[in-house]
Amino acid sequence: MTLILQTIVDGLVLGGLYSLAAIGFSLIFGVMNVVNLSHGIIVLIGSYLSYILWRTLGIDPLLSIPLVMVALFGFGYVYQRGLIQLAVDRSSLLASMLVTFGVALMLRNVLVLIFSPDFKSITPSWAFNFFVIGPITVDLVRISALAASLVLLCLLALVLGYTHMGRVIRATAQQDLAARLCGVNARHVYGLTFGVSAAFAGASGAILGIVLPFSPPDEAHWTINAFVVVTLGGVGSPSGALIGGLLLGLISTATSQAIGPAFPNAMMFLILVIMLLVRPAGLLGNAFSGSR
Amino acid sequence: MRKLGRRKFVKLVGATAAVSAIAAPMIGRAQAQAGKKIVFGGSVPLSGRAAETGLNVHHGYQAAIKFLNEMGGVEIAGEKYTFELRMFDDASDPARATTLIQRQIDEGVDFYLGSFGSNIVLPTAAITERAKKPMVQAGGGSDQIFTQGFKYVFGLFPRATRQFISSVEFFKSINPKPKTFSVIMTNDAFSKTQGEGAIKDCKAGGFDLVESYQLPEQITDVSSVLASVRAKTPDMLICTTHDQNSLLITRQMIASGTNVPLLYQTLGPQLQTYRDTLGKFASAICVQIYWDERAPYKDKFFGTATKFAEYYRRNDQRPLAYHTAGGATCIVLYVHAMQMAKSTKPDAVRDALAALDVETVYGRVKFTPEGDGDAILLGPAIGQVKSGKVELVFPASAKTSDLVYPAPKWTEKS
Repeated sequence: MTLILQTIVDGLVLGGLYSLAAIGFSLIFGVMNVVNLSHGIIVLIGSYLSYILWRTLGIDPLLSIPLVMVALFGFGYVYQRGLIQLAVDRSSLLASMLVTFGVALMLRNVLVLIFSPDFKSITPSWAFNFFVIGPITVDLVRISALAASLVLLCLLALVLGYTHMGRVIRATAQQDLAARLCGVNARHVYGLTFGVSAAFAGASGAILGIVLPFSPPDEAHWTINAFVVVTLGGVGSPSGALIGGLLLGLISTATSQAIGPAFPNAMMFLILVIMLLVRPAGLLGNAFSGSR
Repeated sequence: MRKLGRRKFVKLVGATAAVSAIAAPMIGRAQAQAGKKIVFGGSVPLSGRAAETGLNVHHGYQAAIKFLNEMGGVEIAGEKYTFELRMFDDASDPARATTLIQRQIDEGVDFYLGSFGSNIVLPTAAITERAKKPMVQAGGGSDQIFTQGFKYVFGLFPRATRQFISSVEFFKSINPKPKTFSVIMTNDAFSKTQGEGAIKDCKAGGFDLVESYQLPEQITDVSSVLASVRAKTPDMLICTTHDQNSLLITRQMIASGTNVPLLYQTLGPQLQTYRDTLGKFASAICVQIYWDERAPYKDKFFGTATKFAEYYRRNDQRPLAYHTAGGATCIVLYVHAMQMAKSTKPDAVRDALAALDVETVYGRVKFTPEGDGDAILLGPAIGQVKSGKVELVFPASAKTSDLVYPAPKWTEKS
């Protein structure tokens, strides 16, 4: 019984991380129909920014999250307006996939040049603490990461649900022609969406940096994970990403415990295939606008 | 200023051309006499997941080439040779590595150095084998490299399943003697075969297996494995995982209060990054160590292991690791073999490598008939992290410090 409880707690904690890491990907996919293959590298840029702030200024990685988000919001906005929009305008949405893939490769090598390929780790003074509730052991870092993820996802849900910017983003996602006819500057909205996505990817990077050692080649892993989470949970909504991430975390730890630790990835992709066949829009999502 | 007339111009050009035509072969011959060049080709991970240790190996190659060239080259069969390193970044990708090696074979490179990681060494060695070009490597220990009948590949490390012979002797020497062990391995060519070798050898050594855990190659979470370790705690937890995975496992062990009397990782704690990240928590973790600069090895070229370390540090900023010394030794072994064979022909050098028995900065090197390092001569010593450094605790003849066992609990370390 203890093992089952421990597995559930571990799964939820891991799932929280997956959710936050995927939400940016989900937004861009949902609003702009762009499969952002540079998502993982933006997550890692967040990790490295947080690492720099921690090493040079001694800023706690959780406190560095707002700074990382601001920096990456700017990066995301400029990246979308300066590069992705151009690719979409001149060619097709497929071009944007190629562009983001190319950017990911370039940025990965830039990170190698700046930080070397050696793995890095963010270890604040509380990084190794844990507490015990009855028979369950809870890692303080992972539970903090889960809490930060939930707070950020709620924040995003509030922004999308109750602010002018959120309404405009949702309107553009639902029907961009109608939004344009109502006077929405869709290009600006795309830029904002990309900025928000990059900011949240960066925030997840800062949190992941405390939990895992990281190095530039890890970016592909986070892009693939985001894709699976979004497919599971549904495109374009924080709740979809949350459900998808938590489910993925639970599936991962439960598979590891019940079948064997070698099989979580196999199970993850099996579920992905089943979801694509049975419910391509995901559990909570709408079909992404390109498929409507 | 006098004008250059057309007739004079033609004469001048003609004279220059004639002088050039006569002098060119002489210049070429003079360059050849000043020293022939031997090219070492290959690929190495300078980026990607294996880059951290790949860079260590590569810096070892570079240090040896620089040193030998600064000596003015070496004499082989009465002629002076200098060396050129032609390594390419395989990005930790076996497919890319095979393309790079095939290209170099096509370009006529005769001698190869290994990449890092059995998953890369194995397919690249198959290509050099087919072309009958020798490869000396310090980056692949999987049994598969040495059990397919390859004649041209030589590895400094004993094959993975033989790397635990000295470890089992170490476990037996511990007082009080541990009784049980668990193994964590990942699903890749090196980790899996080494983990299986560890299980076989530890069982043969009289230790009882509690559990073995096989994880995917890239891991992000081991909480369920650690929950199982806490439920069924072994005396020794053996991790045959690569550096980044080892760090993740240790971090999660600390942060989940998973204590074992002996944490033994084959890779990870030898890296400065690993020890810096964990700080005082790294203390008492054991690791396989294949080389220590304080070892009393004599080398024909560098002098001693200590002198090699001094030379390296004068010329390179990157921390010195045993893979660096291993990389440098690969080049030195080639030179020994070429001098022994009195030839730079690949077949003759291959035969000399197979018969080699020399002392180097890395220790006495002798290959088995299958090409891997002799398990007794080149098997690992055991180190334990103490105050941020790795001290040798086994074998007794080489030890620089006494073993701390059982290891203090994580909370006691903090």
